[in-house]
Amino acid sequence: MDIDDILHEVDPVADTVPRETRDLQALTRAWVAERSAPELLKWPADGLFERINDRIKSQIEKVEEMTGDMDPKTNFALIVIQTELERYRYLVRSYLRARIAKIDKHTLHYLSTDALRSRLSEVELAYATRHQALLHNHYLSSFLASFPPQMQNLNDVSGSHNMIDSPDLDSAVFVRLLRDTMVESRGVDVDGALEGKDGSILILRWSDAKPLVEKGHAELV
Amino acid sequence: MYGDLGNKLVQHAKRTQNLTHLPPYQTELVRNVAHEVRDLDKYTKSILEQLGDSFDPNTDQATACTLTVSHLAMRRNKRCLLAYHRTRTDKLEELVWSGSDIADLAGQQQQRAAPGGAGANVSGMNGDGASSSLSPQEEDYMRQYSDLLAAYKGQWTDIDLTGSLEPPRDLFIDVRVLKDAGEIQTEYGAINLTKNSQFYVRQGDVERLIAQGYLQKLS
Repeated sequence: MDIDDILHEVDPVADTVPRETRDLQALTRAWVAERSAPELLKWPADGLFERINDRIKSQIEKVEEMTGDMDPKTNFALIVIQTELERYRYLVRSYLRARIAKIDKHTLHYLSTDALRSRLSEVELAYATRHQALLHNHYLSSFLASFPPQMQNLNDVSGSHNMIDSPDLDSAVFVRLLRDTMVESRGVDVDGALEGKDGSILILRWSDAKPLVEKGHAELV
Repeated sequence: MYGDLGNKLVQHAKRTQNLTHLPPYQTELVRNVAHEVRDLDKYTKSILEQLGDSFDPNTDQATACTLTVSHLAMRRNKRCLLAYHRTRTDKLEELVWSGSDIADLAGQQQQRAAPGGAGANVSGMNGDGASSSLSPQEEDYMRQYSDLLAAYKGQWTDIDLTGSLEPPRDLFIDVRVLKDAGEIQTEYGAINLTKNSQFYVRQGDVERLIAQGYLQKLS
C-alpha cells in the first residue's frame, strides 16, 4: 500500500474499502501522528484497538492451526501471514510505547485537567496514576518526608516555579495538507499566512498545526 | 555555601545520564541536602517569630533579603533532589523495560566488583547495601514498577510490549549463541542452544534471548 493511499483516506467515501484495511490505515496514521507530535494525542475512541486486538488474536490462532500442516503451499502462506502479523504487532507496540514515553515524561501535566486526562485510554490512565503515586512515594521515602510539610508537594504552581512540566507545544512538526486551505502561523517577529495547496508539505509550529490537523485539513508526517 | 551540596547531586545526575550502569546512591549527600533544607526552614521560622507581625519588607530590607535567599535555596535544593532521583528512577525504569530485575542488577555489580578483589565477599549478599548501588527505596521502587509494567503489559498480551522497537524486516534471522541457553520450544520443534552454534530461527521466538545477551543477531 502506498502512503498516499493512506493519506487520502480521510474522506468518508471509503466505504468500498473493507473495514480491515481502513483500520490498518487508521492505525498507521495514528502511529505516524503520535510519533511526530510533541504532545500526547487523543486515544482513538471508536474501538479501533479492540478490533485490532481481536484481529491479531484470530491471526495467531490461524497461524497455530496452519503450523501442523506440512504442505509447502500452506507453509508459504504461513510465512506471509506471520510476517504481516509481526508488522502489525510492531505498529501497535511502537504506538503504545510512544504514548507511554510521553505520559511518563509529563505525567502530572496529563493528569492535571479532565480535558488532558480524556486523551488517555483507561489502561493508560491507571498506569499514569499508579506510576505517579509510585514516584511520589519513592521521593517521600527517600527525602521529601524529612522536608517541612509545606514543601512536600510535587505539584506546586504558586511561587517562582511551576513544578508541573509540560510539553513544548511550539516545537516544529511537518504536516502535509490534505486540501486547499489557509495556513496561518505565528512567527517571532511577524505572523505569516499563506494559501496552502492540497498535498504540499509544510513545517509549522505544532500549536499552529494542531487546529488544521484536528479539522482534518492536514496530516502529520 | 547554600546549594553547593545540591549542585554536587546535580553533577552526579548529569554524569549518570551518560553511564551504562547506575553509580552508587549518594546516601550521605542526599541526607545532607535534606538536612540543609530543614536547617534553613528552622532558621527562617525563627526569624519570622522574632519579628512577629511587625515585619515590613520595605523598611527592613536586609531581613527580607535573607528570607528570600533562604526560601530560594530551599526550593533549589528540592529541585536538585528531585532531579537526582528522577534521573535514577528513569534509569531504573529503562532497566525494567529491557527486562532485567533487581537480581540481575546485583549480579552485574558482583561481576564488576570481583576482578578488583574487593567484591570477593559480596556473593550471597544480593540487594544488600554493601553490594548494591541502589538505595533500599530504589529497590522497592524498581520492584513496584516491575509489577506496574507487568500489569500494563497484561492488557496487551498479544503484542509483547517490551519487544524490539526496530521495525521487523525478516521473519527469520541468523543468530549465534554466545552463552548456553538450554533448549527452547518453537513452532518448528525444539532447538538446543549450545554455545557457539548458529541457527536460523524466527525472530519472535528468540527476541528475549537476544535482549538478555544469550544470542547475537547476525546481519
